[in-house]
Amino acid sequence: MNTILQEIESQISGVKAAAAKQNVGVVREIYDGVAKIEGLTDCMANEMIDFGNGITGQALNLEETEVGAIILGEFSKVKEGQEVRTTGRLLSVPVGKALLGRVVNALGAPIDGKGPIKESAFYPVEKIAPGIIKRKSVSQPVQTGIMAIDAMIPIGRGQRELIIGDRSTGKTTIGIDTMINQARMNKAAETAGDKDYRPLYSIYVAIGQKQSNIARVVAELEKAGAMPYTIILAAAASDSATNQYLAPFAGAAMGEWFMDNGMDALIIYDDLSKHAVAYRQVSLVLKRPSGREAFPGDVFYLHSRLLERSARVGEKYGNGSLTGLPIIETQAGDVSAYIPTNVISITDGQIYLETDLFYQGVRPAISVGLSVSRVGSAAQIKAIKQVAGRLKGDLAQFRELAAFAQFGSDLDAKTQAMLERGKRIVEVFKQQQYDPIPVEIQAAALWAVQNNFMDDVPVEKIKDFQAKLTEFMTTRKQDLLAKLGKEKAVSDAIAADLKAAVSEFKQTYK
Amino acid sequence: MKISKQARRDAKALFLSCRANGVLDEAKVRDVVQRIVAAKPRGYLGVLSHFQRLVKLYIDQRTARVESASPVSPVEQSELSDSLTRRYGPGLNISFIHNPAMIGGLRIKVGSDVIDGTVQGRLQALAESF
Repeated sequence: MNTILQEIESQISGVKAAAAKQNVGVVREIYDGVAKIEGLTDCMANEMIDFGNGITGQALNLEETEVGAIILGEFSKVKEGQEVRTTGRLLSVPVGKALLGRVVNALGAPIDGKGPIKESAFYPVEKIAPGIIKRKSVSQPVQTGIMAIDAMIPIGRGQRELIIGDRSTGKTTIGIDTMINQARMNKAAETAGDKDYRPLYSIYVAIGQKQSNIARVVAELEKAGAMPYTIILAAAASDSATNQYLAPFAGAAMGEWFMDNGMDALIIYDDLSKHAVAYRQVSLVLKRPSGREAFPGDVFYLHSRLLERSARVGEKYGNGSLTGLPIIETQAGDVSAYIPTNVISITDGQIYLETDLFYQGVRPAISVGLSVSRVGSAAQIKAIKQVAGRLKGDLAQFRELAAFAQFGSDLDAKTQAMLERGKRIVEVFKQQQYDPIPVEIQAAALWAVQNNFMDDVPVEKIKDFQAKLTEFMTTRKQDLLAKLGKEKAVSDAIAADLKAAVSEFKQTYK
Repeated sequence: MKISKQARRDAKALFLSCRANGVLDEAKVRDVVQRIVAAKPRGYLGVLSHFQRLVKLYIDQRTARVESASPVSPVEQSELSDSLTRRYGPGLNISFIHNPAMIGGLRIKVGSDVIDGTVQGRLQALAESF
């Protein structure tokens, strides 16, 4: 009981000292989650405003005679004529490892019914991205577990790689697969006691999505055991536009905590098209002037300042990284629309998903020709570089030849061989969803294709061959895989072992 | 009523012309209003209503309201007026209000600044902190 008395006393003494000057204003208008406030002469841009009853707002427009603020939370309780006051603080969200495994809203409050979160600190939602001095070039890989990406469009820690495509082409799936693979690798390193491995934590920001979709993602991650390494930040379609607008910034703040504390994090913004739409709504009700497609003039800055916060910082500045995977949904494959072009130009490359490929059965439906990674090749491990170096070129040649081969049947042997190889590579890259492939198995499979071991397997049986080869390698040649995973390169000795192993397998394969 | 940008600009210019050394000259304000009403230039209603709004905001900013739980003596009133004028400049319109509901202390509001030293305010802050 004594402690309670002490607590009350300390609270009372804290309040006693607070006879400070406050800056107040009066709500003049209130509509659609936005308030116009008269007074508030000392209000700063992006400052939090206290509306009383636990409702806060954020000042977005500082005008000559009034302040335009967005209201976070239940705006129907705010009344015209009500007194509000400035707080002198910026909008902040809780950050830290305690958030892992939780589902939170745009303000970092838990919405999964698992009790309160013991945060490590509070980070401001809007923060200036690390500058040039703080940064370090991207050199460590993010293994997505998706063969086509890891081999041809590699992603490095600290990179921003856009995932772009039409509706239902598997954009979110790429994100989920990547998160599952990180969880598997983190878990494997933990059980093996590998001190050198840097775990990669994931943050999934759902913006303007259906609640059912978010629940599905959570269920999928739980099924794969990936939730202990993941934070889900949900601003669903039923949340206010202001919360949808803030969600990715809050997610970035949570990721920055990992980066500042020497850890690596991955953040998936699903998706920024809906984020731009939410921001357009907020801007229009704030009566900001509109530009192209009624988006406000600073919609480019909105996304550039968000994505610039993904970085890899040097040893002196935390030695961590934040990798960004923004997602953009295009309409009928139109990448030249306003928001897609903006985000393409901001990011360090894009993974382009095509509807046609998806329905042809090429899943993940990655268009190799249109997808690029501008910095990731520096982060690829040597083994993958050795086996996948020529793949992109081979596939490009294959597509060109395949287009020509439709006109005539008389092809010389070399062209025929190239076509057959191309068909097999396309087959090898097909992959089930939610089933990322470890990097050493990717390297072994690609090594087998590149060294003509699959040339005599019929195209329709390639997937079967690959599955059985994987099974054979994981059950009978564990040592070789472990060695490949450890050395991270195909040395002459490993190449000889691989040759022996694959030859042995082929003798038994029917 | 929708007030055009031009009307806002005009009203702002008129408002600025009515100020001398940062203080609004009431005689000039009356003169401006009378002249506009007499001449009726294009969009004069918009100009006048925006002008009124600017004057209202100015008056709000220059109004000091001192609320106290117990009545303030004339000596204290003049001391308070002096210190407020020193802090916020000349031309303040100060009113003193006796409000026993505050239990004890003073609450001074100048424009949008509030200095709350009342018992009521502290109790409210305490209630919110729990």
